[in-house]
Amino acid sequence: MATYIVRRILGLIPTLFVITVIVFLMMHAMPGNAFQSLVFNPRLKNSGELYNRLVKENGLNQSLVVQYIDWMKNVLQGNLGNSFSLNLPVSQLIATYLPNTLILAVTAEVIILAISIPIGVFQANRVNGSFDMISSFISVFLYSIPGFVFALMLIFIFSFTLNWLPSSGTVTAGASWSGSFFDRLQHLILPALALALPSMAYYTRLTRGNTLQVIVADFVRTARAKGLRGRKVLFRHVLRNAIIPIITQFGFDLGGLFGGAVILEQIFTWPGMGELSISATINRDYPLILGTTLLFAVTVLLGNVIADILLAIADPRIRYN
Amino acid sequence: MTLSTQVIAKTNLSKSPAPPKSKSPLRLSIERFFRNPLAVAGLVILLAIIFVTVFPQIFTHYSPSTPDIMNTDSPPSAMHPLGTDSSGYDYLARDLYGGRVDLTVAFAAAFMTMFLGVIYGGISGFFGGWVDTLMMRFVDIMLNFPFISLILVLEAILNTSSQWMLVLVVGITSWPGAARLMRGVFLQMREQDYVVGAQTIGASKWRIIFRHMLPNSLSFLIVLVSFSVASYVGLDAALSFLGLGVPISVPSWGGILNSTTDYISLKTEPYAWMPPATLIVLTILSVNFIGDGLRDAFDPQSKA
Repeated sequence: MATYIVRRILGLIPTLFVITVIVFLMMHAMPGNAFQSLVFNPRLKNSGELYNRLVKENGLNQSLVVQYIDWMKNVLQGNLGNSFSLNLPVSQLIATYLPNTLILAVTAEVIILAISIPIGVFQANRVNGSFDMISSFISVFLYSIPGFVFALMLIFIFSFTLNWLPSSGTVTAGASWSGSFFDRLQHLILPALALALPSMAYYTRLTRGNTLQVIVADFVRTARAKGLRGRKVLFRHVLRNAIIPIITQFGFDLGGLFGGAVILEQIFTWPGMGELSISATINRDYPLILGTTLLFAVTVLLGNVIADILLAIADPRIRYN
Repeated sequence: MTLSTQVIAKTNLSKSPAPPKSKSPLRLSIERFFRNPLAVAGLVILLAIIFVTVFPQIFTHYSPSTPDIMNTDSPPSAMHPLGTDSSGYDYLARDLYGGRVDLTVAFAAAFMTMFLGVIYGGISGFFGGWVDTLMMRFVDIMLNFPFISLILVLEAILNTSSQWMLVLVVGITSWPGAARLMRGVFLQMREQDYVVGAQTIGASKWRIIFRHMLPNSLSFLIVLVSFSVASYVGLDAALSFLGLGVPISVPSWGGILNSTTDYISLKTEPYAWMPPATLIVLTILSVNFIGDGLRDAFDPQSKA
């Protein structure tokens, strides 16, 4: 198992290499660069000279191949470079913004799994019963609402109409309780719900479908025949076998949730990776673009590896060689 | 004796009712689709939405691009059923005309991803071997590509300002999923008897792909397109909402949401943002119902 994990992680390197090369080429294909706005700044006297100096200092006048190799050398030494627009090390910027996104994504994932798996299992337990019908209809409905429309509705209902929860930021500014656990939790609920709800419907459907396939199996009948309680059969025998495709999907979606948070971060003015990567692209901040892309790619790829590892834990028949 | 049996056979034939007309699989699928109430409801809603966006003149005499400058920021009134925005544009007119962009982009992008997916996935699945390995490796990379940054970069490069650029951007970023699906379909089909049969009688590769395999993957394609349309309506609206879609002067549902959901308007003008939001949700919902109906109709076993 350990060798398998190591090999899978090593196998990510070529993929990461190709992704960074594509991003590198594409960002240089974008018109303009980070320092061009200086040229048109009327307050700067020798702006042309300054521009040329900055371009030279940051190596932008060299060929693309040399630039890429320089960047790669630095990355291998653990140095992601300095941001052009914010004048801070990229790693420091990521360290500031990443925790917010992580908290959001993890909370959303916990909500998704904690609610949709039991609902899906109960639906399948009494298939075509009233609970199944009603909750299936609701989940198709929820599945059809894009996350950002959800966010708007949640803000309108819970922040503006009911006045229960705050609609933006991570903490209440200027209040004595600012930054306390409860304060942060309050700010977290709406964005996490908006991120979780559309996927929740999808996971409920997935769980229901997989449980339906397992629930007719012989071993389930055996478990019931030997007198196990219904709930125990459902969660110990059926779920363990039905959960495998859900885990795989979950691994694939880990990175997706990360990316999906970008739009919601804008709506809830949540200072996370989405904001950082969008501003990096708009400012042509090459080191920051590469740094955030690398991070996004690593998250998605690690999600896939985690999915495979969890799969092996859930299904002992799977052995990797 | 032979004569008598012949007579009996003949009389039997004439007595038995006319044999039912045999139906093609496609015909059977269509009939199954129309027996599904949710799917039919979805179809009716979608057709209604398409109708009001194609012929908005019937429902409003305002143009989405000429402001009524005497009535800016007006709440719903007899004159403007959904009110006007701060420049005096009629919200109802913008909602109705706005659907054109959203629906065109969603349908065109869905066909584009289908087209790219069929070609890429088809080649990969049909040839198999190292071609398949290499091509799928690239799909994996594209699937792992950070989606929003790719769109941002593409829009900067293409300098997008029209709906067709948006179609191109959505198509370029969304084809890998379709390619992976079609590759699976083709891999499965390649081993089936009729393909092996066509190979043994010496049919060329292209003939097998286009005359035998493609028509048989039609049901997958239709379902793929319908679910893609559903997700692209949401994606297109999200991009316009972020200001990455069509220019704000061109009405689109996402664009209207973008300008009506700042902190104040979201609270005080629900009549401005709720209609486009409802239209987006209704469109996606109806297309999802249609997609579910099509999947069940083409593959009755999947319903179990």
